[in-house]
Amino acid sequence: MGVVSSMSIYGGVSKLKSAVREYPRAILLLFALYLIPLFIRSPYILHLMVLGYIYAILTTSWDLVCGYTGIFSFAHAAFCGIGAYTSSLLSMRMGINPWLTILVGSLTSTGIGFLIALPCLRLRGPYIVIVTLAFSEIARITCSNLVDITRGELGLWGIPPLLQVSGRREYYYLIALSFFAATLLSLYALIRSKMGYALSAIGQDELKARSIGINVTEYKLLAFSISAFFAGLAGGLYAHYVLLLVPSAILSLGLMVEIMTMSLIGGLKSLVGPAIGSFLLVFISEYLRAIGPYRFLIYGLLIMVIVIWAPSGMVLAVRKVGDLIGLTKPIVWKGQK
Amino acid sequence: MVPWDYIVRQLFYGLVSGCMYALMAAGLSLIFGVMKMLNFAHGEFYMIGGYVIYFLVVKFGVDPMLSIFSALIAAFLTGMLIERVFLRPLFGRPAWDLSALTVTIGLSIFLQNFALVFWGEKYKRIPEYIAGTVSIYGIPISLQRVLVVVGSLCLIAVLWGVLHRTMFGKAIRAVAQDPDAASLMGINPRKIFMLTYAISCMLAAFAGALLSPIFMVYPTMGASPFLKGFCVAIFGGLGSFEGAVLGGMLLGLAEVAGIALFGAEWRDVIAFTLLILTLVFKPSGLLGRGE
Repeated sequence: MGVVSSMSIYGGVSKLKSAVREYPRAILLLFALYLIPLFIRSPYILHLMVLGYIYAILTTSWDLVCGYTGIFSFAHAAFCGIGAYTSSLLSMRMGINPWLTILVGSLTSTGIGFLIALPCLRLRGPYIVIVTLAFSEIARITCSNLVDITRGELGLWGIPPLLQVSGRREYYYLIALSFFAATLLSLYALIRSKMGYALSAIGQDELKARSIGINVTEYKLLAFSISAFFAGLAGGLYAHYVLLLVPSAILSLGLMVEIMTMSLIGGLKSLVGPAIGSFLLVFISEYLRAIGPYRFLIYGLLIMVIVIWAPSGMVLAVRKVGDLIGLTKPIVWKGQK
Repeated sequence: MVPWDYIVRQLFYGLVSGCMYALMAAGLSLIFGVMKMLNFAHGEFYMIGGYVIYFLVVKFGVDPMLSIFSALIAAFLTGMLIERVFLRPLFGRPAWDLSALTVTIGLSIFLQNFALVFWGEKYKRIPEYIAGTVSIYGIPISLQRVLVVVGSLCLIAVLWGVLHRTMFGKAIRAVAQDPDAASLMGINPRKIFMLTYAISCMLAAFAGALLSPIFMVYPTMGASPFLKGFCVAIFGGLGSFEGAVLGGMLLGLAEVAGIALFGAEWRDVIAFTLLILTLVFKPSGLLGRGE
């Protein structure tokens, strides 16, 4: 497995280089986001954008496993929670630097993701949903029952912040953006690598993929672990930014529903779509506070309507705009038929 | 030494939850067997059953038995409507099972929050249908719980009879095996899909209606029975009606044993562990035919 994956990663890096040459404008746009704190001073909006980036890390990495590989995983929120709790507990109880514990948290998530992927290998779609759902419920119940360690539903607070300078949203903005950019670029490189094509093939028809010599087992395990890594990363980032963790918020199916809605609105199998969907939903639910109690009512309706009548989500619209300004065209037509 | 009347009562309580799991799992299994999809909105039909009872019995003072009957009808009609509007447009799409599943997730969130917004989050108490206790070998057991067990077993028996002894049941089983071949025999698979979905929803609503005096009525009341029902349906073998019933009873009893061993807060973990173990070691379940 090691050889294949390191080769794919190497291929991914070279793909990334060619991407920079091929789509300079898209890359420039990503880096233009770094300038936003110069223009937007409001800490409130910057805070929302930080949340948007964290959600975007979650949704784009879910897109890798659900959109591309076709594994409908319900455990993504749980991976996020595991990363968050591991990182904050390590930094709180053992005094380790949060930057390091975020990495440890993500690696823990990766390991658990790998273990959860094992029983999923033999199973088909609906069964995978159930296994991952059961796993995330076990994670939530365990976390809220281990009151001595996690303080359960009382909430874990007193988590050390990522930065010693408090109240400077700009710095957090830049950090979150960097994490998001790193996630997006590495996922993009992965999608465009040999492994990415293999994953898409598995997502479209597992049997055919196997018949042309793709090692389905290995790739599925890799996809699952990689997406769990990024989910853990998002969780760690969230924990050391918001500084409060409650199992019923971060390990819940509610978060999973949000991830799903965001990704579906944006359009699966596009990476950019889920990221845009995340921002959209974060801002909509903040600015339409009047819809507060109706929020999940609307999410539910949105999921139904999108799946039935607009299965590709907003991604078509996004692509059309992107094509117009020359951002997305080559990405679209090479990846898809 | 634990007094034995305590053990007997706990076992009986296990049987009561077992009936609930059996009803939920039977419906889920039936839907999966015939339509090859998972109904994530199943818990919400349990909730609908509870709310129909709340409105009829508590608000309007209707006779409980009549209310249970109305809950069944309401769930049946809602089920038919939902199948027609939200599921039928998806038939024949490439990833039918996953899109149907996603739609029912949306539906579940919608219905749950509909109840939350319009009917409030307060737990609603329902008076017992039959007050008093019955004494079995000197151990008092509430009649309400006896009613749950007897009622569930009756409904399960009736449904088993319908599935195995009538032409309609034969049609359902035929569609479950092969919708195309069934339609060649003059069966309309779409009609069967719709009726199967409606009947399964009815089972869930029946569980909700019967158990609401014990567990109360609130917007998320369906979440736990739904998840447990799923575990049971897999444990018994997805698509197998008998497996679901047997698995439900077994889980009810296993939970009682688990609570005695590990404490009540770990109760829900038992079902999920059972589920994952089943999928790892025998994915086709107790009585499933396999894939």
